[in-house]
Amino acid sequence: MLVLSRRIGEKIIIGNEIVVEVLSISDGGVRLGIKAPKETSVHRFEVFNEIEIANKAAEIAISEINQSVLENLSAHICTK
Amino acid sequence: MSQNHTKMINIQGKEHSYNDHQVVNFNEGLVGFPEMHRAVLIPLAEYVPFCWLASLDNENVRFIVVNPKQVYGDYQPKMESADEAETQTLALVKISSDWRKTTVNLKAPIFINSKTRSAAQVILNDSTYQLAESLPNT
Repeated sequence: MLVLSRRIGEKIIIGNEIVVEVLSISDGGVRLGIKAPKETSVHRFEVFNEIEIANKAAEIAISEINQSVLENLSAHICTK
Repeated sequence: MSQNHTKMINIQGKEHSYNDHQVVNFNEGLVGFPEMHRAVLIPLAEYVPFCWLASLDNENVRFIVVNPKQVYGDYQPKMESADEAETQTLALVKISSDWRKTTVNLKAPIFINSKTRSAAQVILNDSTYQLAESLPNT
């Protein structure tokens, strides 16, 4: 892992387009400003990680599929 | 090979036919599945409105998806930089052997551009949509 020290107002650049700026520091927290191309998604890591876990769980849950589950689901949604 | 040449894919031990227009391209993959770039959407004709989303890059990666608007009528996620009229929205379903415990991921829908067939899973900032939303009236 690359480790850099930055002060308030200083920036780092990732690749050619992603710029991260330290906006403020207080009480052990850092406020960052991130400038990235529209197609680059930026998220708090915890949120990304949560989705990753949910996707993997959904993929694993395919093994729980059977005809009766699908029949019930389909009937429930179509008659609601 | 013609554009509409029918191809076959095996999903959970069953053969399904599909055409090129059912293929979608995930440029960045799916969250947690960065290697899943091409996938095919196959409606489960007997179990409307569910569809298979089956990876064409890894035969072990399969999902069940649904148009969330067909399940939750008022689902209206905010699309940044997307034309709503040209966008097909899908949500990943987490099946449970107890069908009432099945949940739908409304927090990170899949948007597909109907014209280009390019697809992306988008994490919404909207906190009203849940990662594991229960089915209505269960």
